[in-house]
Amino acid sequence: MTGAAITTCKLLLFGRCVRAVLLSVGVQFLLLTVFLLLVNFQLLHPLNWIMGSLRLVCSFYTWFACIPLLGAIVFYGMALSHQHLAERRYCPTRYRWLLHNGPRKLLFLLAHAVVGYLTAWLYTGYLHSDYRHFIYKSYGQDFVNSYHIFLLGMGLCAGGYYFASEYIQEEISIDFDFAEQSRPEKLRELLYATLLKAPISSVMPTICYTLVFWLFGSFLRHRLSILLHVDTDDRLLGIIDVISNGRLLFYAWLLGAQIVSNMHLMRCFYATMLSERLPMVVGRNRASVPSEQELTIVAGLGVFNVHVVQCLAANFLFQEAQRNTSSVRTEIFQLTEPGNHPANWRALCDQCVSIVGGFTDELNDSMRQIPLDQPIHSDASTALLAEKMLLRQYNQLHGIRPVVSPTYMDAPNREWDAKGTDSIRHVPNWCERTSSKLEKSMQQLLHRIPGIVYFFYEPEGAKTEFLIENALPVIWLTQALAHICVASIKEDSYGVVQDDLPTIIKALHRLKCDLDRLANGMPNLRTNSNNFNHLRYAVRRSLYNICTSFYKYLGDLSSTGEELRQLQTFVYQG
Amino acid sequence: MASLSNLKEIPSLSSPTSAGQRYNYISELDQYPIINLKNELINPSANRITIGHSFIPVETESVPKRISRTFFDGGFWESLAEARSEKTREQAPLISKTADSIAYLLDLYNKIKLKVFPHTQQLSAERIAQYAETRDWINSSVRYIAWHVHLFKLAVAGVDDVVRIYGRTTDNNAGMGHVLKSPTQSQITCMAWRPLCAFELVVGCSQGLCFWIIDNNLHLGRTINPSHTLKHPDNLPISSLKWNKDGTLLASSSIGDRAILIWHPDSKRMKPLKRLGPPGSLLSWSPGNEWIFAATVDRVFRVWKCHDKWTSDRWVCDGGNVQATCWSPCGRFLLFVNTADPILYRLQFVQLHLMTSKSDDREVMPVADLNACSLDSINHTLIGGTAQQLAWDPHGKYIVITFKSTNSIAIFRTYIQKYDLQISGGYYLNGQSLSEYPSFICFQPLNKDNDCSVLTIGWSSGRIQFYALD
Repeated sequence: MTGAAITTCKLLLFGRCVRAVLLSVGVQFLLLTVFLLLVNFQLLHPLNWIMGSLRLVCSFYTWFACIPLLGAIVFYGMALSHQHLAERRYCPTRYRWLLHNGPRKLLFLLAHAVVGYLTAWLYTGYLHSDYRHFIYKSYGQDFVNSYHIFLLGMGLCAGGYYFASEYIQEEISIDFDFAEQSRPEKLRELLYATLLKAPISSVMPTICYTLVFWLFGSFLRHRLSILLHVDTDDRLLGIIDVISNGRLLFYAWLLGAQIVSNMHLMRCFYATMLSERLPMVVGRNRASVPSEQELTIVAGLGVFNVHVVQCLAANFLFQEAQRNTSSVRTEIFQLTEPGNHPANWRALCDQCVSIVGGFTDELNDSMRQIPLDQPIHSDASTALLAEKMLLRQYNQLHGIRPVVSPTYMDAPNREWDAKGTDSIRHVPNWCERTSSKLEKSMQQLLHRIPGIVYFFYEPEGAKTEFLIENALPVIWLTQALAHICVASIKEDSYGVVQDDLPTIIKALHRLKCDLDRLANGMPNLRTNSNNFNHLRYAVRRSLYNICTSFYKYLGDLSSTGEELRQLQTFVYQG
Repeated sequence: MASLSNLKEIPSLSSPTSAGQRYNYISELDQYPIINLKNELINPSANRITIGHSFIPVETESVPKRISRTFFDGGFWESLAEARSEKTREQAPLISKTADSIAYLLDLYNKIKLKVFPHTQQLSAERIAQYAETRDWINSSVRYIAWHVHLFKLAVAGVDDVVRIYGRTTDNNAGMGHVLKSPTQSQITCMAWRPLCAFELVVGCSQGLCFWIIDNNLHLGRTINPSHTLKHPDNLPISSLKWNKDGTLLASSSIGDRAILIWHPDSKRMKPLKRLGPPGSLLSWSPGNEWIFAATVDRVFRVWKCHDKWTSDRWVCDGGNVQATCWSPCGRFLLFVNTADPILYRLQFVQLHLMTSKSDDREVMPVADLNACSLDSINHTLIGGTAQQLAWDPHGKYIVITFKSTNSIAIFRTYIQKYDLQISGGYYLNGQSLSEYPSFICFQPLNKDNDCSVLTIGWSSGRIQFYALD
């Protein structure tokens, strides 16, 4: 991939992130208006209520007081951009994950805490005077305001809660819309859904925070009073004081809802902006200036270190491939001038097949580390294997022994004995036996230390799950390739695609076999993971699409008789 | 405008097998299964046995005990009905009077609730039947027929909530395949095989969408359940469903919901397409995936542009609601009928003039008059009236129409040109007897194993007829 393509991608994504930050800034004023309308509600004077609230939003105080929060929003936006655009690297152990993601996650947690705190600080400024100030005067003495501390703490807690629920473990991901609507419609729906959901989702954090404040609130107030050289007040001392103060709880709940919905909206704005269709071209126009922002699909697919760009390129190709009439597809099938070479198709096909093949290889490698239930033939159907598994369980339950005794290959403790029938049998001497026993006992000892296995060992199937979670480009590419191949029957007048059909079929078939093996060997993965189902069925559909369209020529397109038999069975039985 | 007055009786060619089942003959039809659902239907009432039916009631049981037992057996409403029964009224009039008052109050509450929230009205079977494509959906033996897009697989849903799968008949197999039955599948309104997949069928019913994975390796006779079920967010019955061409997206609508739901079943995600207006009734995806036709229970219908940010054009009928619709195989024309007038309308999706916006070119045009007329002077058999269902053959040569109140099937010839569609009179087709009427019709799709237009008719008698059109 060229440097120009990377620069183009960066510029395009930077523009989108800036737009997302601007939207996030704009939504602060909307949320503030909603908050003020709820806090200042007057049933008998509706005009006063609305005018008063709007006047407050438009006042100079608000504009100045908003500046710290807006600064925090920009900081939060930067952290969020970093999360979205960071390279997705596989970390085999939790220790490695902490090393790689720890600082980034900490920074993001800080961003949450700052936004939560500053939102609470800004919003408490509009509340009743009892809740507004950090320190208040009573009988000539200064006191720390427990109500204010409670609400500020709620801001911090809501920010922390959102981080913990959404980001602490999982990598940030974008849900690409399968039915993409116009931006205003998307934003409107998002706003409605968020504002309706937030009041319910903030109930739990409010209750938990109230309990925590009851337990540790006195200690916190005491430390603050020492720090600020003021006295502590005697409000909110017991649980009854806290739960009987309806207005305080209402404010806390409202603040929690506002902060949680604010963060959710910001996250969705980023996802909406970044997942919007990226304009791409099939081949770079020779007449265009090199500095012009023109990104080819192949270059986009080659940006391996920015997952979003790869996804956007794959999605673009998929969308264009499945259209009835597409200029992009026409361009793919065209020959280049001069030379009459199918350069566009060549580059695209090579890139797609290499991505699919690379993914299959990685998946295959990762699957070798998983002890799959049984050796499974790739063409065997899931149901048949499920039957076999049930039969095996039944036999074990009722003590029915197999007629054929299990081979030594199955026994894990006979490794030294099963090196092959041709080689001379090697019997370890006492020294080797002692050292292996010593090694084993040391390993067992290490395993017993709490946290060692948790932090320094690779969980079973972690690599496979990582690959499947990040398989979105492969999902779209396989389907796009299949659509292009099928469309070539009518549209490819120069026959540029037909030479590559066997390669494409082979790549898809290999991936399909591996995914079937994985589905049969790991039932939990099969049933639980939507990503896995999405990938598996997309690959199966793609292969089916090609196989049914080229059914008559399958004999010429498959490399081996076994592959041909499997493909024919696949068309009729799935 | 074409009309029904000049239809001819369809040429009946000799049939070598199963007398009366097939009127014409092509050699491939020999391999089609012989289906008569009346013989195969499972008695629905015998099928649903409650715990209460398993025990003989004790005659000496006191009234409170009987009511409490009914409560635990059948729930609150059953016990209320028991408290208001004749037997209770004789034995304990006070209890039945109290029950009457409770029932009256609950009825009043329901009435007020429906006034305030009319959308919470429960969707009865009669209401579902009103908008279903199948004629007399409640009593019809055949409730829906769906052909596989790529293979010879036919799914037939019966009134007993069972879906039967049929395949090609061979020397040692009569064509009968799996029987799909589940407690989570009742009141089937629609079905569709998933495109680009050999074995997945989705059934739309009152519980939502049941996804069946039909595998040849499953043993016959074993109870199998749907692989998964996707429920409507408001637990409403599904009234129509359609897959897109690639089998990636599934559109569904419900007569209780204004939104069309677009499902992505692989990732189990759903997106509602919302617009103000009456609830949806019927959906139809264009063959090229470009548009979705969405009818509603009122005069309004919409055409959604799938490749243009899912925007929609709104149309209004003169009266009634859209009853049936079908796309031409090329996807440039759409025919539909409404419940108010016996006219076949056309909507075209071709830009006729340069320099005009696409929507300007689209207009609804009447193309055929379906007013009832007499077929023969002897029996005074009528054909026509308000249409029930439309089916366009995959070659684009014939449009088949069934009617709500007359029993014959009308077949018009169609000539599809690039910018125009012409319809002329064709044939009519009757059942075995005058009282037999078509419940459901559809065409077998063209695929590598089939290049004929085979009309599949589910008759009210429960038999399925296959008719090859030239």
